[in-house]
Amino acid sequence: MEEDVETRKISSSFLRDHSYATEADIISTVEFNHTGELLATGDKGGRVVIFQREQESKNQPHRRGEYNVYSTFQSHEPEFDYLKSLEIEEKINKIRWLPQQNAAYFLLSTNDKTVKLWKVSERDKRPEGYNLKDEDGRLRDPSMITMLRVPVLRPMDLMVEATPRRVFANAHTYHINSISVNSDYETYMSADDLRINLWNFEITNQSFNIVDIKPANMEELTEVITAAEFHPHHCNTFVYSSSKGTIRLCDMRTSALCDRHAKFFEEPEDPSNRSFFSEIISSISDVKFSHSGRYIMTRDYLTVKVWDLNMENRPIETYQVHDYLRSKLCSLYENDCIFDKFECVWNGSDSVIMTGSYNNFFRMFDRNTKRDVTLEASRENSKPRAILKPRKVCVGGKRRKDEISVDSLDFSKKILHTAWHPSENIIAVAATNNLYIFQDKVN
Amino acid sequence: MEFKLEAHRIVSISLGKIYSARGQRGGLKLHKNLLVSLVLRSARQVYLSEPGCPPEPPPAACGPPEEESPPCTTAWAAGEPPPPPQDEAVRSGPRLPGADCESPRSRRCCCGCSCCCAAAAGGEANRGDCATAGAAAPPPPHCPRKRSAGERGQAGSPVKKPRREEEEEPPPPPPPGEQEDMETGNVASLISIFGSSFSGLLSKEPKGRRRTPLDGNEAAAGTPAEAAAEPGQICCDEPVLRTLNPWSTAIVAF
Repeated sequence: MEEDVETRKISSSFLRDHSYATEADIISTVEFNHTGELLATGDKGGRVVIFQREQESKNQPHRRGEYNVYSTFQSHEPEFDYLKSLEIEEKINKIRWLPQQNAAYFLLSTNDKTVKLWKVSERDKRPEGYNLKDEDGRLRDPSMITMLRVPVLRPMDLMVEATPRRVFANAHTYHINSISVNSDYETYMSADDLRINLWNFEITNQSFNIVDIKPANMEELTEVITAAEFHPHHCNTFVYSSSKGTIRLCDMRTSALCDRHAKFFEEPEDPSNRSFFSEIISSISDVKFSHSGRYIMTRDYLTVKVWDLNMENRPIETYQVHDYLRSKLCSLYENDCIFDKFECVWNGSDSVIMTGSYNNFFRMFDRNTKRDVTLEASRENSKPRAILKPRKVCVGGKRRKDEISVDSLDFSKKILHTAWHPSENIIAVAATNNLYIFQDKVN
Repeated sequence: MEFKLEAHRIVSISLGKIYSARGQRGGLKLHKNLLVSLVLRSARQVYLSEPGCPPEPPPAACGPPEEESPPCTTAWAAGEPPPPPQDEAVRSGPRLPGADCESPRSRRCCCGCSCCCAAAAGGEANRGDCATAGAAAPPPPHCPRKRSAGERGQAGSPVKKPRREEEEEPPPPPPPGEQEDMETGNVASLISIFGSSFSGLLSKEPKGRRRTPLDGNEAAAGTPAEAAAEPGQICCDEPVLRTLNPWSTAIVAF
């Protein structure tokens, strides 16, 4: 795979021509680890690719820590549920890192039904000088051994190996949409459309159900869970969002089953914006706590909202991501784009938020200055190491030279998954099957 | 009027989505299907609440049904009141519980049916379906709503007949307490023409008949695994056949 400062992942299929990108290479999740040293991506083919940041070298200061491939492994395979005659997709829905506690790295990856804990470790030494077998591994005839020696560790080429340490299966009837590691680092939760389960990392054959919104009669179903996350510091608190545009905050100390929320966040609907698709566009596709734990950010189809945990009746900030699509909802419904689930991320200091859009555009909003910018992740429109030029969508009237009109937007090029380095201004943007990594300009 | 056309278009798009979701890899997506059914419900509500007639391309085709009473009563040969809306057997093509016999309603059905027969439909399909629409219950729309589950069994034998044939009709969608009755009528005819066994839009199905897995992910939104009745079979009720013109019968058979 070729790497640049703006590192891209080239389709790992046989043909390197990008027009032949296979569907299996479509990136479905992107996540930095807690230090930002590693960046994991999952794709529709069930593979996980981990990039590692190069150590900065004094010789080449302008190449500040590029990301290179560190490890690639097949996390999930397609499965078949014989009872229901359904195929279970191998697509990786989410990856979440565990904080590093020893030399190895641990991450959780999940598809629709099964969560797996992977250990990624390095091996750079190997033992030599066995007594009972020779260097090729063949057993030696014990009667030929005349002396004993102590095996020694000798350096070898670095090998990174990934091993599945735990498999958490058979706990979800519906499709898993989120996983979240608790701040106690001992438990994590997995959420599907109707239920949320709490797991202990050490125990794979049991989980606790902590939220269950399945109605007794499925015909009365009105909303599903769309995302869930633990509070970054309070191990008893978590939030989950729904398809109705509401967020519930739950405290696990109140009861074993957290069906009753501690807080309920909902903004009253603006009646002037009512349309056939009001319900769809209010469905929340992602919810993220700020690093401080004071705010939550939610993404619905057209907006990103920031909520203060202390105020439930409305968000404190609302940002329009691509409001020019409001008049096109019917077409977007027809081509299924209205169901796209965009994610949103905070920067390390919670001052900037970022989310994706169409035409390979992604947007950043500075919460303090209230300025926003639209950038494009595309090979054609940006050269390596060139500064990204802000883009603008023309909504009507005369189109200026550099603007793009709404009708020329390419809706097949969508940026659903992005990630922000925990402490630096480095972002990873997944554009279909390509991964772009952008860094702050280096002087 | 544009709203009605728009609503009608959205209804047909939604049905298409639900139908095609059956074959999706990875099983039915509960969330997406829930959203689609919500849109479908909104569109149907608008469609029904809008007064007047949408300008329908083949106006002539809707001629006969506009005289409400005759088609209404003849189609319901047995003269029995329409089965309660909750009975999904009612969802077969001809029965539009609660649907008015007014021309707008009939026209609507025309639109609905013609839309779904879009590919091949000519204007004539409308007439047949209009007739079926006209065959809807003489009682006002609200009547079926009042029917309780207990009345289900009281429907006469003609009800049982379509029931058997409709075994594959799966359960309806989410909307709680929503009276699916009349709206589902024309929807049902669309569905039956697709010949699909998807759930979702039809009314609540009697428990015994529902072939749901214990916790089927698809419970609310459709059951891809369930075998569909063959396309066309559902529509082969006598009342339907009686009222459909030959052209639409061909479509139904497809």
